[in-house]
Parts: sequence; C-alpha cells; structure tokens
Amino acid sequence: MSLLTDLTAAVAAGKRIDTVRLTQELLTSGARPQDIVEQGLVPGMAIVGGQFKRNEIFVPEMLVAARAMKEALKLLEPLLASAGIKPKYTVIIGTVQGDLHDIGKNLISMMWRGAGFAVIDLGTNVSPERYVTAAQEHQAHIVGLSALLTTTMPAMKETVRLLKAAGLPHTKIMIGGAPITQAFADDIGADGYAADAGTAVDVARKLVGEAA
Amino acid sequence: MNARLTRLHQTLARRSLLGDGATGTQLQQLGLLPGACGELWNITQPDRVRQVHQSYLAAGSDLLTTNTFGGTSCVLAGHGADQRVHELNYAGAKLAREIAGDRAWVLGDIGPYGGMLEPVGDDLPATVELAFRQQATALLEGGADAILIETMSDPVEAALAVQAARAAGAEFIIATYTFQKAGADYRTLMGTSVGAALAAVLAAGADIVGANCGTELSLDDYVQLTAELAAATAGHPLIVQPNAGSPRYVDGKIRYDESAAQFAATVPRLKTAGATLIGGCCGSTPEHIAAMATHFR
Repeated sequence: MSLLTDLTAAVAAGKRIDTVRLTQELLTSGARPQDIVEQGLVPGMAIVGGQFKRNEIFVPEMLVAARAMKEALKLLEPLLASAGIKPKYTVIIGTVQGDLHDIGKNLISMMWRGAGFAVIDLGTNVSPERYVTAAQEHQAHIVGLSALLTTTMPAMKETVRLLKAAGLPHTKIMIGGAPITQAFADDIGADGYAADAGTAVDVARKLVGEAA
Repeated sequence: MNARLTRLHQTLARRSLLGDGATGTQLQQLGLLPGACGELWNITQPDRVRQVHQSYLAAGSDLLTTNTFGGTSCVLAGHGADQRVHELNYAGAKLAREIAGDRAWVLGDIGPYGGMLEPVGDDLPATVELAFRQQATALLEGGADAILIETMSDPVEAALAVQAARAAGAEFIIATYTFQKAGADYRTLMGTSVGAALAAVLAAGADIVGANCGTELSLDDYVQLTAELAAATAGHPLIVQPNAGSPRYVDGKIRYDESAAQFAATVPRLKTAGATLIGGCCGSTPEHIAAMATHFR
C-alpha cells in the first residue's frame, strides 16, 4: 500500500506536515490505526535508528523524525485507546540519581515509542527507589537506566541491585549512556546494554522475547 | 588590553602553554557528591576549590580554569540556583585569580547551557545568548583574563557563546568542542564536522579554537583529531584538552586508564600535530599536569 510506504518515508525524513497529512489520508481511506502505527510509523523510526547507528545521521535528524512521529501519534493514540488497543509492552526509562542529563534518555524514549512500546518517562535524577516503585506499579517489561556522568555509574549499580532485590521476574533491566559499556553492564548484572539509540530498540525487543 | 593579557599574547607567540586538568573529578575527590552543584562550592567550600587551583598551579599550569562549567542560569536552574549566576561565577573567577596572581592566566569557564536550540529544540537564541552573556560578565568582573567556552556540540550554540562573551567585554576567547568517532570521521554529537565546527566559532570571533573531552577517544585518537583540527584553525592557535582515556568501572571504582606518564609522552605528538595549548579534561589530575610540565617552558 503506497500511502503507508509514503508515511514511512515521511517519518524517516522528519517531514512533520507530510506525516500528519498521510496519517489523516490513511485514516480517511479506512486504514486501522494499529496498522498505521505498525506498518507506517514503526518502520520509519526503524530506518532512522539504522541510519543513526551507521553514523549516516545524527541527533538533530533523529529529533526531527521523532517529532514528526509524535504528531502522527497525537491523531492515532485517542483512536487506539477508544478501540481498546494497548501497546504490548510497557517500558520505564529515566536518568539515574545524581545525573541531570536528558538528551540520550529522550532519544531512547522516542525510539521506543516509535517501536510501539508504552513508555513511562521518569525524567532525570531518578532515585533507585523510584525505579522500583514505577516498575512494580506499571508491571514494566523493561526498565531503562541512562547516565552521562561517569560519577553516576555507581548509582546505576545501586539501582540494578535494588531492582533485582525487588524480585520482579518479568522485568528486564537495560542500561546505556556515554560512559557505559557491555563490560559494565555484565559487572553490575544488567540484562541488556545498548551502545546507541538505534540499537536500543533491537536490544529491547530481544529482552522481551521478540525477534529483533 | 591589560598587561597580563598582553603578556599572554607574547608568551603564546614564543612557546606552548600548559592548561590544567579536570576540576569536577578533583572536587569529587574532595567530597562533592555526584550530581551536586559544583559551582555552589565557590561560596560554600572556597578552600577546597582553592586547593584544586593551587595543586594545578604547583604542577606547572600556565592556565587555571574557573570552577564554573555549569554556571549558566539554564544549568543552575536544575539546582534551584538560577538567581545566583553573578554571585557564583564572580566568586569562581575570584578564587582562581587569588591563586593565579600574575603567575598564571585565569580562564573563565563556560559549558553548554544544557538544552537544544530551535529548530531542533525549543530554545530561542536570544534567551541562550543572554544566559551566556550574564555568566561571562560575572567571570570577567571576578578577574578572568579570558573566556573558555568548552565541551560544545552545536556550532550555533558555540558561536552564540562566543558572541555573548565578546559582548560582555572579553578580549580573549577560546572555544572548544567535544568530538566522537563517527566511522572514520570525527563529529560532534550534533553531527558537525571538525571543519564546520571550527569555522562557526572563528566566524563568531574566537581567538583560539580546538577540542576537549570526548566520548571513547584514546590519546592516540586525540593525536589524529589534533591533526584534523590543525588543518581547520585558519592560522589561529589550537588548544586540545583530552580526557585521561575512557572511564572504566573496576572493583567499585571509576578508573581512567591513561596514566600521567602516558599523558606526558603524548604531549610532543600533540605539539607536532599542531596543538599550542594543551591541558586535560575528565580524569586528568595534578599528577598528569606535573608530568606534562617537563615539555613546556
């Protein structure tokens, strides 16, 4: 269906006005909102994620694409809600205690939204206890921890420890951020690590048991 | 131009200058908690800030950097201190000046304001320019010889900061970006190339340009980056301030891999590649600076 592929291309290019127009046209033509999300928007953000991973695009292009996607979701989310369609997976994200940086965290949040997850954003400077409470309350499939400052890596370790101690059998923990490595993730017992916002979707899908 | 600034120009024409090392990680060793507002220490713990400056001066630094990296109203707002821009920056510059006297030059430090400018973000250039100008004004009044704008990713923001520093009366402005590897290239977080990044701040009137910090950049990478930067400075002096390697988490502690000896050994390579001012960023210590000092003067 060409409108859907046009929508995918419009999102990937960050064309907000085209994205909204195509979403409206698809709705008018009778397309189901969930198909518009899954076959139009999700592939668009996947293209962006891949380009980011390959250094073909950078933060500005990602943000512009995410903004286009958000505008389309504003039209679609009420329809999905009234049809009783909920995202399959709920993910929680935040920047760890002592760290006020949010650019990386926001990028991951957008990519996860673009992949069709329900995203609960706890903001920055999130205490270990708040992560645990939110994970319990929302029965999160994934809790994502972000850190930019090297000095807040110990806070990440403590958060992972507390989440593990809380005994949430269905909650996986994912970490990322400039100073973070796979070795650190292994060391502190996180279930997954993503080097960038493009990879974060693949890793999250794997963690919830879906093929990447 | 005052005598100290004249001497800075004369010295720079004659030899390379040694910067200082990290401030934040040093303050943390003295008890600053991760995520806490380091600029508040210019008022609440002035002796500890002096101690950091003093140890760099003793190590041989020609340039002392004020403890004001997060001193814009935008960043201070995150700590509820956005009404204290003048107080904290003025105090920061004064502390460095006290220690430096006429033995070193004081660089009034300005870091990113922490958001995204339009059209990618929502912040207006005029608002951000004002924030930089307020900070630069306080730094100069407190006794900074020059303004150091560092760790920039967005060339538009960096150029705004340079213009703001100039408008505040700065006669000597240094502007540096943080680069990361992007395939075979070096780019900023925003995707800006080395050439475009430096061109933006040079056009805005920066006197010295270069790089500091970096994500996953080794000292070898920094030598390569320095050569690329040197080709884009349009004849202006080049400053580089690498991290002491990438941070690793070992046995519950953060470690930086590059030793003082490795740092010192890299100095001649950085000079050959074109750097005239060399210092250190995250993880570098007075020991690093002391080891490097043998290659200066």
